[in-house]
Amino acid sequence: MEKNYYVCTGCGLLCDDIEVESEKNIINKVYTACRVGVAHMKNAKGETNFLVDNKPVDEATAVREAASILKNAKNPLIFGLGTSTDETQKLAIELAKKTNATLDDTSSFCLGPLVEALLQDKLKTCTLEDVRNKADVIIFWGADPSDSHPRHLSKHSYFPRGSEKQKGWEEERTAIAIDVRKSHTAKICGNYFFQIPPGGDTEFIDALIAALSGKLPKTSYKYPPKKILELANILKGAKFGVIFAGLGLIYSLEDLEPVFRLMKVLNEKANFHLVPMVGHYNMRGFNENLFAETGYVNRVKFEDGIVKHGPEYSVVESLKAKTVDAALIIGSDPLSSLPRSVSKNLLEIPVISIDPCETLTSKHAKIYINTAVSGVEAGGSATRMDGTKVSFKPVVETVHPSDEAILKKIMEAV
Amino acid sequence: MDFGSFLAAPEIKIKIVTYRDIFQDKAMIENRFGEEYRDRSAILKLDPADFKQLNIKKGDTVILKNSFGKIVVKAEESGYEIPHRGIAYMPNSPWSNMLVSDETGGTGVPKFKDISATVTSAKGEKVTELRF
Repeated sequence: MEKNYYVCTGCGLLCDDIEVESEKNIINKVYTACRVGVAHMKNAKGETNFLVDNKPVDEATAVREAASILKNAKNPLIFGLGTSTDETQKLAIELAKKTNATLDDTSSFCLGPLVEALLQDKLKTCTLEDVRNKADVIIFWGADPSDSHPRHLSKHSYFPRGSEKQKGWEEERTAIAIDVRKSHTAKICGNYFFQIPPGGDTEFIDALIAALSGKLPKTSYKYPPKKILELANILKGAKFGVIFAGLGLIYSLEDLEPVFRLMKVLNEKANFHLVPMVGHYNMRGFNENLFAETGYVNRVKFEDGIVKHGPEYSVVESLKAKTVDAALIIGSDPLSSLPRSVSKNLLEIPVISIDPCETLTSKHAKIYINTAVSGVEAGGSATRMDGTKVSFKPVVETVHPSDEAILKKIMEAV
Repeated sequence: MDFGSFLAAPEIKIKIVTYRDIFQDKAMIENRFGEEYRDRSAILKLDPADFKQLNIKKGDTVILKNSFGKIVVKAEESGYEIPHRGIAYMPNSPWSNMLVSDETGGTGVPKFKDISATVTSAKGEKVTELRF
């Protein structure tokens, strides 16, 4: 019997081997997915909701009111889109152009710079299949996939046998964790866990570069040089190494220069790749789609055919400086995920929330449109954390409109 | 050691490092306004020595405070083998975000994983509700 596999859109891994049992468009059982994936796919919902000022309205009214807010705004903010398909993201870019909007996504305050560097070919990268088939040295740096991407180690990076790694993790792979705390992933790495103090990453990188270059590694926090030299020796011997870079690393650096320095030396001595630990299932897709359109991965402002770019167009700085006068938030909950000291300014402007879940943001929105869960109730395409394109079909049918359908209607009404 | 730590109700200065937790993520997907998500988010993991100094028991509430906000969360010992006095851990959530500074130096990137705050016993005060 031919099996019917689905894609899980619960995180940036986009696992494509999921089986489900469903009845009357309700998913009862999910096989193969992780704990987060199962919850994501079984995330059943109630009736369709279109709310204006928290009062139920019909779809046409909600769309008309949303379009009116965007039309009347001088500088609307369009934000979110990390859990939307490519098709939705491209529409949002068009809508931003049409409404002279500021457009940004969550990569603006997480892994955006890393994805940008990859799209500009500044870093050597590889696919997760390459990792499974070839990788012998795997570094989790400021990343804890056992919690953030639960099938990362079992499906791709450590435990599976690969075409060139038939003896598996026991004999042919070394997993290393560099982190500020002993995470679940660090525990798996055993003796290859290197605990550094918060903010100590740049110094550790430079000490590691010194060790790779045959010099004595020094840090102000007196990390044992012997341990850094041991690590350097392992890295030098890598035939196919990969660094999975997480938020812990990125937040600790002022810019990416230390990462560029390290990757350069690693590739003089061995063969190393870097893959960003993208959280939202299509954040990288947003970066790629906007990059193709504007040359920038995030933080843009459209103004009569011109594209402006810079930190002042980031969601955080726009809200802080109160330069935006309305907000269209798609599949994101900035009232929860941004510092409250910044996100509170959203309460002063009209907000349109398009989201499959009721959130703090949707509760305080002028307009709330409850949409289909992307990847469960609506299909499309997306980019996995390693840049691989993945297409998916909906698992069940729904009465909820997709965010793509809603954006199309808003676009027509603007 | 700071003066506050000698008070009858000790006040300790800490740096909070946030992290991801699979059980908390699952609870958020199921119900972000639910009890499980609150229990798995509004929690501070302290070094055993800091925990002892606060004169509290596992599951007691503590007040975390800085110039950006004040929250009440439950406290417990981290369980990490390596001592980490002055550093505490907390899952990334709307609760931790209530304490994150708006100072970004114009970069657009808040210090989500680097929060300075004081911690004191909340003497039975309830965990902060998730609302504006």
